[in-house]
Amino acid sequence: MTQLELQQRGVLNLLKCRGTPPGDPWLRLVEGSRELAMLRKIAIWWRTFQIEAQCRQTSRLLKRLGSFEALVTDYFNRNATSPFIEELSRSFLRSLEKHNDPVVRAVSQLEYAALNAQARLPEASEILWDRHPDLVCRAIESGAELPPAEPDCLYRLRISGSQPFTLTCTRESTFEVS
Amino acid sequence: MPGFEAAFGGWPVPALATTYEGGDPALLERLVQLVDLLEIAPDTIVGSERGQYILRPEVLDEYASVSSRVGLIAHGIGLSIGSFDQWNHDYLRLLDELFARFDLQWHSEHLACTVVAGESLGTMLSMPRTQEALDLVSRRVELLQKLYPVPFLLEHVIQLLPDAPAEFTPAGFLNAITSRTGCGLVLDVYNLECDAHNQGLHIPAFLDELNLAAVVEMHLAGGVQYEGFQLDIHSSITRESTVTLACEIVRRAPNLRAVTFEYLKEAVGLLGHDAICGELQRLRQTVLRQAVLQ
Repeated sequence: MTQLELQQRGVLNLLKCRGTPPGDPWLRLVEGSRELAMLRKIAIWWRTFQIEAQCRQTSRLLKRLGSFEALVTDYFNRNATSPFIEELSRSFLRSLEKHNDPVVRAVSQLEYAALNAQARLPEASEILWDRHPDLVCRAIESGAELPPAEPDCLYRLRISGSQPFTLTCTRESTFEVS
Repeated sequence: MPGFEAAFGGWPVPALATTYEGGDPALLERLVQLVDLLEIAPDTIVGSERGQYILRPEVLDEYASVSSRVGLIAHGIGLSIGSFDQWNHDYLRLLDELFARFDLQWHSEHLACTVVAGESLGTMLSMPRTQEALDLVSRRVELLQKLYPVPFLLEHVIQLLPDAPAEFTPAGFLNAITSRTGCGLVLDVYNLECDAHNQGLHIPAFLDELNLAAVVEMHLAGGVQYEGFQLDIHSSITRESTVTLACEIVRRAPNLRAVTFEYLKEAVGLLGHDAICGELQRLRQTVLRQAVLQ
């Protein structure tokens, strides 16, 4: 490994909080420095800013839940983030597909599908909602309270994978007679 | 590829240039009445279509609509010319697209690493000033000079991290690159001030040592202080100290061909069109006037 590779890989790992570098004296100096902390802040600030601009609904929802910055930081640290904003945004949204909040999952999937449609990437998708999707989106947009989950039903939102992109939504009962 | 001196011989005074990233036709119309060149940052106008990165056609159309009234130059952010392994090939495809559409007067890139082992750093890392880095960057500059038919310039970036072990001084490293490759330099005056604040760079000594004949373009911008650091966030108009320093450099850089006021698109709302246009008028009357007065 050349010195340049050692330094650049070392800084990448330090920026992304991936552990202490091996014995290189300069990397050890960088590791605890306030300069590294600032560089990390700048990198995350930019990612936050870009994601906010591209993923408006999801970022608003996450801010409301108080978890936006922490999730962007976690995403930045764990992933090979793209330098291109569209790819970064899609990848961030995909990282939320296993989020434990069903509204976050649904909203991020919807926004992911919208970005795909904008980029003319054919990908059919189906999103399950535990409450009315349109009411959720309106509430996020207006800052109003989110509608409550509706017991014993789900909304199945289907997005076509070919042009013209269409949305269909059905409300289904999940009530089981015992 | 013509060298910068041959390419620009006969330009009487430096041109005034500024950034434009699309989507604001009212601003564009005002800018083209004030500047001679528009700076296109390909990375900032990227969209995608069917999995391929492309330059957004609607923004390219905006540049095309004014290309008979102003010249165009390209200034990259994400080539990552200093990555140990490979540079960003996607950026070169964007540059190809731009060159296919427009006659650019020159193109430039930051002397930095933004991608490591295929992974974006999310920021710009300055290069260690070593023989190894010099060899790597010079090879790539020479390749760029073969690929594109206009001069290529490199811009030094601010250094935030503690200085790595170095075999060259900051100016000496730039001199070594320009003398080996014949490429020109973009001298960012505000970046020098950031390095002076954050790293203790002695600007007079730097300028005395730098081969100012290689400086083809000068960047001016304003930024912020945050947690004791001076940051190169192009979010404000140029402060007085930057203008004063710029005036000195204009007098000393014989091949300077453009002075570019840079601002982030995201700062337009904060600054307002009037402030941006007022700043361009001010820079023409102050910084560019130095060249006329000589």
